[in-house]
Amino acid sequence: MWGEIMLILKPKVNFVVTVEAEITPELATKSLDEILNFKVYYGKNLVKLGDLFEVKKEGDDKKIILDGDFSRVKWIGCRMEDGEILVKGSVGTNCGAYMKGGKIIIEGNADDWLGAEMNGGEIVVKGNTGNLVGCAYYGDATGMSNGKIIIEGNAGNYIGEKMSGGIIEIKGNAGDFVGTEMRGGQIIIHGSCGFVGGDMRGGEIAIKGSFELLPAFIKKEEGLWVGDVNVKGEGKIRAIKS
Amino acid sequence: MAIHIKNGIVIDPKNKIKAEKMDLFIKDGKIVDEKAVKKEECQVIDATNKLVVAGGVDMHAHIAGSKINTGRTMRPEEMRVVRRVADTFRAAVGRVLLTAPAIGYEYAKMGYTVSFEAAQPPIGALHTHEELDAIPMIDKAALPVFGNWHLVFKFVEEKNIEKLKAFIAWAIERTKGFGVKAVNPGGVEAWMYGKNVRSLDDQVPGFNITPREIITSLIQATEELKLPHSVHLHCNNLGVPGNYQTTIETIKLASKFSNSKRQVLHVTHVQFNSYAGSSWRDAASGAAEIAKVVNSIDNVTIDMGQPIFGHATAMTGDAPFQFTLHRLTGAKWSNKDSEVEGGAGIVPLVYLPNNPVHALQWAIGLELGLLIDSNKVVLTTDYPNGGPFTEYPYVMAMLMSRKMREKELQKVSPYVQKATGLAAIDKEKTLEELIHMTRSLPAKILGLENKGHLGIGADADVAIYDLNPLDVDTSNEFEKVYKALKTAVYTIKGGEIIVKNGELVKEVWGRTYWVDARSKVDLEAVMPDIENYFQYYSIELQNYGVEESWIRMPERIVVG
Ligand SMILES: [Zn+2]
Repeated sequence: MWGEIMLILKPKVNFVVTVEAEITPELATKSLDEILNFKVYYGKNLVKLGDLFEVKKEGDDKKIILDGDFSRVKWIGCRMEDGEILVKGSVGTNCGAYMKGGKIIIEGNADDWLGAEMNGGEIVVKGNTGNLVGCAYYGDATGMSNGKIIIEGNAGNYIGEKMSGGIIEIKGNAGDFVGTEMRGGQIIIHGSCGFVGGDMRGGEIAIKGSFELLPAFIKKEEGLWVGDVNVKGEGKIRAIKS
Repeated sequence: MAIHIKNGIVIDPKNKIKAEKMDLFIKDGKIVDEKAVKKEECQVIDATNKLVVAGGVDMHAHIAGSKINTGRTMRPEEMRVVRRVADTFRAAVGRVLLTAPAIGYEYAKMGYTVSFEAAQPPIGALHTHEELDAIPMIDKAALPVFGNWHLVFKFVEEKNIEKLKAFIAWAIERTKGFGVKAVNPGGVEAWMYGKNVRSLDDQVPGFNITPREIITSLIQATEELKLPHSVHLHCNNLGVPGNYQTTIETIKLASKFSNSKRQVLHVTHVQFNSYAGSSWRDAASGAAEIAKVVNSIDNVTIDMGQPIFGHATAMTGDAPFQFTLHRLTGAKWSNKDSEVEGGAGIVPLVYLPNNPVHALQWAIGLELGLLIDSNKVVLTTDYPNGGPFTEYPYVMAMLMSRKMREKELQKVSPYVQKATGLAAIDKEKTLEELIHMTRSLPAKILGLENKGHLGIGADADVAIYDLNPLDVDTSNEFEKVYKALKTAVYTIKGGEIIVKNGELVKEVWGRTYWVDARSKVDLEAVMPDIENYFQYYSIELQNYGVEESWIRMPERIVVG
């Protein structure tokens, strides 16, 4: 799927503090000079991208390969609208936040806040993810509203909080508080998880393994519960038949 | 250091200077006579063709204390707007709900040099002063709330005005407060039972008194104590359609009292108390009726409480109203219980131009500003209830330009056309009137003799704007007016230049005013009542209150 024409970034050192780099595929269309001078935070210091990463530009397509350990690099793909990012290692927090389109593939693990308030596009994680996947940032009313997140490993707590649309699919297990205050969209968990659907108003959570159900959900039929009754919710929790 | 402000066009309503080209001299933090300085030693500011006025005075804002801090805690989304990364100044963040440094910086940039915290829960006094101490650039003070305090109720019930006076003097000293604020008198006590009061004559649960008696007793005590500021009242029935009648009835309570220097009652953020109609479906403006009454009575002043479209946070000591608002909007809500001294609530809010209710509120605020005599109405947004104080220049420009209002009216819900008289008002206030409404008038209402004007002996708080009052056409050049008033070319605070070309250049720390009214009251007589009350209170009497030495720069104003 990856053609010849792209931008490759490789960390020059092991980062002592975190890097905040709002790198989107758009960057690949810029001149090498602009890319080297792209501003990122290294801790509290504003530095040039070229100071921290080896940059190899092989064309103008909106494709970026992040080669190496990016687990301390935050905000990768934040607000991206199209193009592709391939992370060959792990990635730091807030990856794909506010994302509107395009695709991010992470071959390693993703830290917390993956796809927070995401509104389109696709994120695929081959490893595990931290907490708060597809959530709303603290204080905001709506989490993920569109797009797709596929996690091949396990996920942490608070998956899809305040989610209003889109799909989160977890091939492994998830932690507690899945789909809290969820209003729309779908969360599919192939493994097991903890408490699901607190204050859920709409949408669906489908789980193949075991899970903990709050007493605020009413059983409609075998394997289907609706709630949370505390908020007059019509969210569905479904047990996937194996 | 001395400063010579050269060739500015001065507007100074208190001293009857209407746009006159003149020089000003500053020495030791005061405005002085030309002869008091050596010109060659002065730093000269060339103010040619620029407007020179006193620093702005915000007489009603919520800038410190437990309410605003709870608001910050419950609204992390407000804290994502970074205004300044720490450099020689401190970090400042906040969208509308600002951090303490941001409050000081934003006021200074706008040419304001005084702001009063308008509702201090007495038990939160220490917190309030700690926070006021964290606000740079401006002078400040806090108004403790008295309208729902059990000891106030007790003395009102006993009709013992001497004890009430002694208690107020004691409490203002302990809280290092400035005057007597009352929020929904009796209503917040009723809230402790899940209720509210609905008229001036409802009985307050647990006491044989009414809001009417609380208000008149507080006015009488305040006047007899000769406090610099009058009773500062947030009326009953705030935010309820039909409430304008309660407001009018309340305003009329002042007619029994008089004071040669100032009003005897200041009614605050009146926009929220000017609704006609019986529900939000048929709500309309009661501003014209209120304006008629305020204009006809000599001893009442008001402030607007103007909503600004965009984000805001409702936070008042009116806990039952805040709950109603939470139920109405579905937004998150926090209830602050302040023992038996009062209460408070906090609810986030967004004023939307196409929302009929919000547009109505916006129009009512402007109607009050336009229809009420400029000697009786002060410009406020009841920050952050009506929105940011940083938009005062918008309100100023609107009151000066019918053309601007017509333009803005096209953007708002057509509901305002039938429910208010705003579109038909052709009144355009003058720049001089607006300078009065933002400087000399609030200073007079608060009883701050050295503020809000540029006469000899006044505090050297000066704002210079890039606007020539002799040249500007405020009716038509509203964009220019707005832009000029938004950021000062110079702000001088206590004789020091703190803002230049809209940028902060120096951090200074203002004073905290507090009023000592203990000299003419019998504190001994009231101490047994206070001691008895504290037997059942949250903290010990000896741990209650704020010592003057704990405040960064206190200034005691002795009265009596
Ligand atoms: Zn207020």
